[in-house]
Amino acid sequence: MNCSIFTKWIDQKSRVLVLGCGSGKIQQELINTKQANCFGLDISEKKVLASISKGLSVIQGDINKDLNDYPPSFFDFVLADDILQLTIEPKKVINHILTIGKKAMVSFPNFAYFKIRLSILFEGRMPRTKILPYSWYESPNIHLFTVKDFRDFCQAENIKILDHIYATGRNKKAVNFAPNLTAEFAYFLITR
Amino acid sequence: MKKLAKTKKIVVYDHKSPLLLESGKELSRVELAYETYGKLNQTCSNAVLIFHALSGDAHAAFYHSDKDRKPGWWDFMIGPGKPFDSNKYFIICANILGGCKGSTGPSSVNPKTGKPYGTSFPPITITDMIKPSRKLIQHLGIEKLLCIAGGSMGGMQALQWAVSYPNTIKGALFIATSPTHTAQAIAFNSVGRYAIVSDPNWQKGYYYDSPLKPLIGLKTARMIGHITYMGQLSMENKFGRKMFENVNSHIDFSKEFEVESYLQYQGDSFIKRFDPNSYLYITKAIDAFNLYNGSKTLAEALEPVQAKSLVISFTSDWLYPKEESLKIVKALKINSLDTTYCNIESPFGHDSFLIDLPKFKEAVTGFLKALET
Repeated sequence: MNCSIFTKWIDQKSRVLVLGCGSGKIQQELINTKQANCFGLDISEKKVLASISKGLSVIQGDINKDLNDYPPSFFDFVLADDILQLTIEPKKVINHILTIGKKAMVSFPNFAYFKIRLSILFEGRMPRTKILPYSWYESPNIHLFTVKDFRDFCQAENIKILDHIYATGRNKKAVNFAPNLTAEFAYFLITR
Repeated sequence: MKKLAKTKKIVVYDHKSPLLLESGKELSRVELAYETYGKLNQTCSNAVLIFHALSGDAHAAFYHSDKDRKPGWWDFMIGPGKPFDSNKYFIICANILGGCKGSTGPSSVNPKTGKPYGTSFPPITITDMIKPSRKLIQHLGIEKLLCIAGGSMGGMQALQWAVSYPNTIKGALFIATSPTHTAQAIAFNSVGRYAIVSDPNWQKGYYYDSPLKPLIGLKTARMIGHITYMGQLSMENKFGRKMFENVNSHIDFSKEFEVESYLQYQGDSFIKRFDPNSYLYITKAIDAFNLYNGSKTLAEALEPVQAKSLVISFTSDWLYPKEESLKIVKALKINSLDTTYCNIESPFGHDSFLIDLPKFKEAVTGFLKALET
């Protein structure tokens, strides 16, 4: 995933935690462009092994359990790119993220995107798109939500939304009109 | 052609400059047995120091002679094209202080009495163990090691080294290890020690001149230890309820099941190569190891550490469970150090680090490669 779309939110030389870092693409970009002090967390043994030879600092661990290892405000920035919908308790994860990080970026596929709405309306089946390609019975996305849902959640939890990016399509083209309908994907810059 | 290596010896402390131990006692002569593989480069920047575990020795890789059936204990990790590539790195492994494979230990002759120390040998700690190794490194002309590495008790030495001599290493590999022994691990060691000291042939540790040695005690200790090194699943797969031989009308109380005969075999081969007193001293040092060393938190205790590190645990290791590794990882992270952690899938329990596992080798190879840059 092209990460430069949200890297403008990250200051130079920040201490950054990348959740679900995979084989380290985002970390490499942040190290190169922001001289960031980057840490990664990923559950997959294979992905962690792939990161080691790149010289990246990665911890094999579970977002659902291993976030409370750090002191408050330890990170300048926590990145939760496209993973919140995979977690068992998203509310708990966001609260953890905003405890250990001063700021965080949370991104997710918007389930109210019009193509998804149309797919349910006309086909009457769980939608399958490029971003959400799985059948309902094998999807890792266990907590799907929408732009409006997330804004409501932030309000209820006293989380400040500092900025947002709504995007659509393979090239992540920015959209601004009626985002809950037109955005396929949303990025939020949040803090407590 | 088998690759050959020779064990060398060096006196690192003598009566002019004795080794002062943590207990306050002194050893007026300390000799180390060690082996090296590969060549030290001109800038002395390719040296790797390996620490062995409880039953290991200096013979980490290659063969001593063409006739040897088995190579050194970590031969699958050390050698040309292997993770610790002897074409690239200069690899050093020494037998620990307190050991019985060439380095000074309770079976060595006390220069003051002309007789083996026995239990007059002073108590030793993990911190004491790494001091002679540090001397050895200096003797070899190495100021900064590319990496230190060790599994189990070897990992404890690596941890202590990273704290005691932070400027001497670029990287550190902590494998299947722990900042302190868990109560469960101490308990198992304690039963092992009890088996030795309650063997009538132990004779309070002064058995070296006697024809009777506490080998039944040592064998029992090793059999208990061996159970703790294996994974429950790998044991089940390897032995299950298989019978060793046809059971006759007499009950055999020690060798009916294959797993029993396996443990007997392990015990019997161990007593041919290990000294009971060394077993007592070394397990005591392991149990007493406390990386916290008076600090409130592990992060505080690890404050001096500078090295980039890789921490590895194995999924089926219940003797040094991943929670222990994670304590180390967490502390290093809080100290903002460059740390990577991997929990490698393996059914072989604590012994996994002594088994040729591709993923384990991949991790070590990758870590060393990243260290060079």
